[in-house]
Amino acid sequence: MPMMDELFTEAQRQLNICNACRYCEGYCAVFPALERRTVLGTGDITQLANLCHDCRACFDACMYAPPHEFAVNPPEILSRVRLAAYGRYASAAHRPAWPHRPAWLHGPAWLHSPAWLHGPAWRHGRGALATAAVGVAAALVALTTLTGGIGALASHRGPYQVIPYPALLVTVLLPSAWSAAVILRGMARYWHDTRGPLGDLADWPALGRALAQAAGLRYLRDSECSYPGADRSPARRRLHAAVFGGFAACTAATLSAAVLQDILGIAPPYPLLSVPVIAGTAGGLAIMAGCAGLTVLKRRDEPPPGAADYGLLIGLGLLALTGMLTLLLRATPAYPVLLVAHVTTIVICFAVAPYTRFVHAGYRFLALVADNVERRRPG
Amino acid sequence: MAPASTGAPLPGGAPWDVAVIGGGNAGLAAALAARRHAGRVLIVERAQPPMRGGNTRHTRNIRCAHRQADGFTTGPYPFAELWRDLCGVGTGPGNERLAELTVRESETVPAWMSAHGVRWQPPLAGTLHLGRTKHFFLGGGKALVNTYHRAAARLGIAVCHGTTIEDLLMTGDQCTGLLTADGVIRARAVVAASGGFEANIGWLRRYWGDAADNYVIRGPQDNDGRVLAALYAHGAARAGEERGFHAVAVDARSPRFDGGIATRLDSIPFGIVVNSAGRRFYDEGEELWPKRYAIWGRNIAEQPSQIAYSIWDAKVARLFLPPMYGPAQAGSITGLAAMLGVGGRAVAETVAGFNAAVRPGGTFDPTRLDDCATAGISPPKSHWAQPIDTPPYYGIAMRPGITFTYLGVAVTPQARVLRTDGTPLRNVFAAGEIMSGNILSTGYLAGFGLTIGTVWGRIAGAEAARRAHDG
Repeated sequence: MPMMDELFTEAQRQLNICNACRYCEGYCAVFPALERRTVLGTGDITQLANLCHDCRACFDACMYAPPHEFAVNPPEILSRVRLAAYGRYASAAHRPAWPHRPAWLHGPAWLHSPAWLHGPAWRHGRGALATAAVGVAAALVALTTLTGGIGALASHRGPYQVIPYPALLVTVLLPSAWSAAVILRGMARYWHDTRGPLGDLADWPALGRALAQAAGLRYLRDSECSYPGADRSPARRRLHAAVFGGFAACTAATLSAAVLQDILGIAPPYPLLSVPVIAGTAGGLAIMAGCAGLTVLKRRDEPPPGAADYGLLIGLGLLALTGMLTLLLRATPAYPVLLVAHVTTIVICFAVAPYTRFVHAGYRFLALVADNVERRRPG
Repeated sequence: MAPASTGAPLPGGAPWDVAVIGGGNAGLAAALAARRHAGRVLIVERAQPPMRGGNTRHTRNIRCAHRQADGFTTGPYPFAELWRDLCGVGTGPGNERLAELTVRESETVPAWMSAHGVRWQPPLAGTLHLGRTKHFFLGGGKALVNTYHRAAARLGIAVCHGTTIEDLLMTGDQCTGLLTADGVIRARAVVAASGGFEANIGWLRRYWGDAADNYVIRGPQDNDGRVLAALYAHGAARAGEERGFHAVAVDARSPRFDGGIATRLDSIPFGIVVNSAGRRFYDEGEELWPKRYAIWGRNIAEQPSQIAYSIWDAKVARLFLPPMYGPAQAGSITGLAAMLGVGGRAVAETVAGFNAAVRPGGTFDPTRLDDCATAGISPPKSHWAQPIDTPPYYGIAMRPGITFTYLGVAVTPQARVLRTDGTPLRNVFAAGEIMSGNILSTGYLAGFGLTIGTVWGRIAGAEAARRAHDG
């Protein structure tokens, strides 16, 4: 992939300057990791890119940032490497060449990267996404005929009175399984390219430290991120924590509902003061607040061309919003429609998750593990 | 008047209480100190925001006396020791009274910096040998400049970017304003913190002749000494030596200006250095590198064509910071010499002679003054001498990289600029490199340029504010 090479060559050029300077070594994990390397291969650069949490502190500090002729901008180039890696690891191993590249696409070299053209689904396939959503919704509505049709439900009785349980289960499990497989394959590829043997993953102290760092957002805390502006602020850390915590709460809500239904035999709907409803409500609100806040931050940012993807934020926000509406209006005639909308959102979001920034969680975690392995075993 | 941020000149209106020429460390310290006592303070910065800060952009640490380790240094560095170190470089301080004041005042500098938002790097992070004598601020000089600008903005200090001061308007011993291309900035007191003249090649040629054409200037091209020349024209007395400068060895492929830290080379103590005739000319292992790196700019400046070649072998290749552009690499010494453009036979003879002179039995240890030395050659290599015998061989052509010049204006202990007749200008003060010649003569002490800038910036700013009030 020649375009990939161009991206890595540019990253290598910039990082060699960083390695000769080292003024930023106190900011984050990227620069100490860079200092442990004298030769930068593509795996090294991919690892450094995923260690970068885009706080921009090094950009604020860099005397070689544009308009200096050295034109060093680590957050930007590492962000490009990251996005390209997301696309590369999510895609099929031997993808057919892009059949025809329109002339207007000829611009900066990185734009030609296959990852950009094929990559995040929401950027290149909004139409396809909309079509898929309509299709899924139509299929779900069709499924409701098994229970008498979407309009037949006068009042709230429970989800399986709208869509039968087995149908709902299969509808949600299929895209989930697909996504899990693609994401796990991508993570295995990442580890192979950056660290090598999968056996290295069985480093329990490194795993433990990486888990603590990821859960505590250690690097966002350390740097008091200055993204998107130049002033340091805890805003991004708090918003990220809201999304992360909200996602965890919603997962807990789903699991607790499964326990209630399948183990304790209590069928939904669950009362307001039950674990699934409380956890789901708290999680949904946190996700919506976090996604809204992060969207505001992103809009204030001046992103490099093409890097401004809102896919993950929009997807998570829609999941939370439809979920909350379904819960809020479950005693009204709108319930069946909202449930169909929510399940449609789930199916679509779960299916496209491997092609969104959702995957950063996995790669970032692996990058932290590899970093901790490296620190313990330098060289 | 609203603070201007992008270079719109500020003519007309009421005069500024204090106008500071230059937005590097000294100028920012002066403005922040002045603002404590004066209402309207203006910084006139020649560059636009991304490139502002002059030479300060390329700094990374500051040398201050401290009685005990403080979490960012590894141990005490008392007044007496810093004073001894300062007296040990070159021919000692230019003006002992001002030098002593600098060292004494340095004790309060780190706390003052922290109070203005500067963050520090803990000493154990990273591979650079952070130490006892210097505080490393997080992110280096541009982060420092941006941090001070944020503090300045909070305090309501105005900044005029992209503005060059052409001259000072003087009435007798009183400055009434600053002349810019777009008009006059009126001020009650002025602080000149505009640096040296190292980027003015024509000026350097007066003292160095054609050799100046081969100098690399490590800071921005803006440092042309315009304000210094204006002060001389208005009768300011000189301080410091004409040929005084801080210079290090940099990669000969560096850009002519503003290459900063990334193009300097740390390979010298690990091998040998030859000149364009292929001969060694100075003890590469004289002292620990942090104490000797500053001598090599001048060493190379004194060689024919102002060029020299650092040569090392595979044994030591990973022991120092990797050079930005990468070294030349060859399987033989003559091959390396050919790549570098030096006479292969001469270099091979030098290497063979050097290898034969290395005393056997030493224990190589780059972290201390080890016992690996040569015997019977001149110049000797006093430490870290190992035969250069393990291919691949590496080499880099080096030029003198001028960091800053010492020739400046003489000042009083209140930072007022002195005239040649011994009387001070009434309301013109100086801080930083433009007056560093009062303190440094020749030679350099790493991190001390920022000490001078901060200490004298604070003094100049406070005194200028007082002058603005007293009229």
